Amino acid sequence: MIGLRIFVYVIVALMLLPLLITFPVALTSVSRISFPPVGMSERWFVAILSDHALIASIVRSFWLAIAAAIVAIIVALPCAFVIQRGKFRGRHFLETWITGPRMIPQIVLALALLAYFETIGLAETFIGLVIAHLVITIPFAFRTLLVSVATMDKRLEWSSDVLGATPTQTFLRVMAPQLKTGLIAAFIFTFILSFNNVTLALFLSGFGQRTLPVEMFQRMNVAGMTPVIPAISFVLALVGIVMFIILDRTVGVYRFLAGRE
Amino acid sequence: MASFELVKSYLEDATRRRPGVISALLLVPVLALLILFFVVPLIQLFNLSTLTQQPSVQNPSPPHSLLIYTKLLGDSFYLQITANSLLVGFSTTLATLAISYPVAFYITRISGWERTLISVACLLPIFVNVIVSILGWYILLLPFGVVQQILSSLGLVTGPLQWLRTFPALVAVLTYEHIPFAVLILVSSLQAIPMDKINAARLLGAGVPRIFLTIILPLTMPGLIASSILVFSLATSSYLAPILIGAQRIRVLPLSIFSYGTELLNWPLAAALAVVLLILVVAITYTFSLAMNRLTKRGQWELV
Repeated sequence: MIGLRIFVYVIVALMLLPLLITFPVALTSVSRISFPPVGMSERWFVAILSDHALIASIVRSFWLAIAAAIVAIIVALPCAFVIQRGKFRGRHFLETWITGPRMIPQIVLALALLAYFETIGLAETFIGLVIAHLVITIPFAFRTLLVSVATMDKRLEWSSDVLGATPTQTFLRVMAPQLKTGLIAAFIFTFILSFNNVTLALFLSGFGQRTLPVEMFQRMNVAGMTPVIPAISFVLALVGIVMFIILDRTVGVYRFLAGRE
Repeated sequence: MASFELVKSYLEDATRRRPGVISALLLVPVLALLILFFVVPLIQLFNLSTLTQQPSVQNPSPPHSLLIYTKLLGDSFYLQITANSLLVGFSTTLATLAISYPVAFYITRISGWERTLISVACLLPIFVNVIVSILGWYILLLPFGVVQQILSSLGLVTGPLQWLRTFPALVAVLTYEHIPFAVLILVSSLQAIPMDKINAARLLGAGVPRIFLTIILPLTMPGLIASSILVFSLATSSYLAPILIGAQRIRVLPLSIFSYGTELLNWPLAAALAVVLLILVVAITYTFSLAMNRLTKRGQWELV
């Protein structure tokens, strides 16, 4: 057991190291990436705010992820109800099919959508990007909500019905509170998935329409790599930790990420 | 307006007689979206791959043929790329499972703050952009980077390390990226083992290796299969690490798809390579799950 413990803590250190190393590197006062940092200054964290291209890409990514998460939940929730509650042939086929986009390589989907959008005129548009993100976020929203619907107590709805509530009242007063944690989890999950997606955006976002991950990728891969990239990376790592803690405290990370009860 | 009322009354009538109609209507948005933006694009992708040349304004619909696939199969350059992809996928899967299984086992045996700490560390890469962790590894592995300085100060190495742009570095970063997914699946799989089975075996005098081999391993086999399938398909189709860490030295299929698709604009070739990648991933994960199902004699495995 003690050997296992040492092994696990070495892995823990290795898992955190790449995310935390961005902090000291970003504290440098010169404009190249080096470790240990030359001098100490917060100038690169301040530089994030004055970097217009970067800020624009953050805003774009944020709205894209919000749109993808909200629409995915709105269309996936009824599906989860029908498939969880319904008794018809082909339920399992439908379930497999809706979760299907998770099973194929995203780069294949990205190329397919690039060629397809070119023919139907959605290429390099924001709406095209939202649609592409929906294809990958719906399966995850659906899985999460399916678990949530399965754990609902049906007797409460019957009681509400018997006591004379309208279907709308039953939904808002009885079902919605039970679905709340599932909805929060699905929202955070799909938001993260969409906000962090690189593949689809790299193929589908037009010139001057880059999302944050694409902007970071382009600067690392092509040109313009300054310590502002480690700085924004560290900020993203902090946001990730906060999101993780919120999700863990509200619904439990394992329960909902694994998508089962 | 009149027609709207007509449709509305028809729908109300239909739903009163058959509740199934409501269900069908609720499914329509998702199914329509998936047909229009998932099934149709994939069919079109295959169609594109059979074109003999790039469609252009002068020649919008060039003739079709399957020639490109026979060309790909006979070309040692592309066979080498395919082999590289498979090798990267298999190595990453093995490394990921070898690390994640003990970690997941440890997580199920602890509680409180220690569990939270280890969970945060092992699941965090899901919550943080993959570019961030690749950047971190890049800084660590640079010649004269952090790892180099630590090893030099310990007197273990001299001279610049050439770890970046090597196969082990690529597999290490891909393993890092995929450990969270494997840990997630394996933890829920290990947690489902009833403790009384282990206690019963212990009472009956079984040692730790025997308990592991006869109880824990078989019961977590579905989790192992599910996580290896997921990791393999994700690792084989990832290209950010190959492009940023491998720096195109280790050529894999996603790299070629990316460069033919967006830089060189040879869509038929990119589409053909994408179809090859798709078939490869689907075929290998499917046969693997089938074979393992037969081996473990249980029909229940679930992909997360």
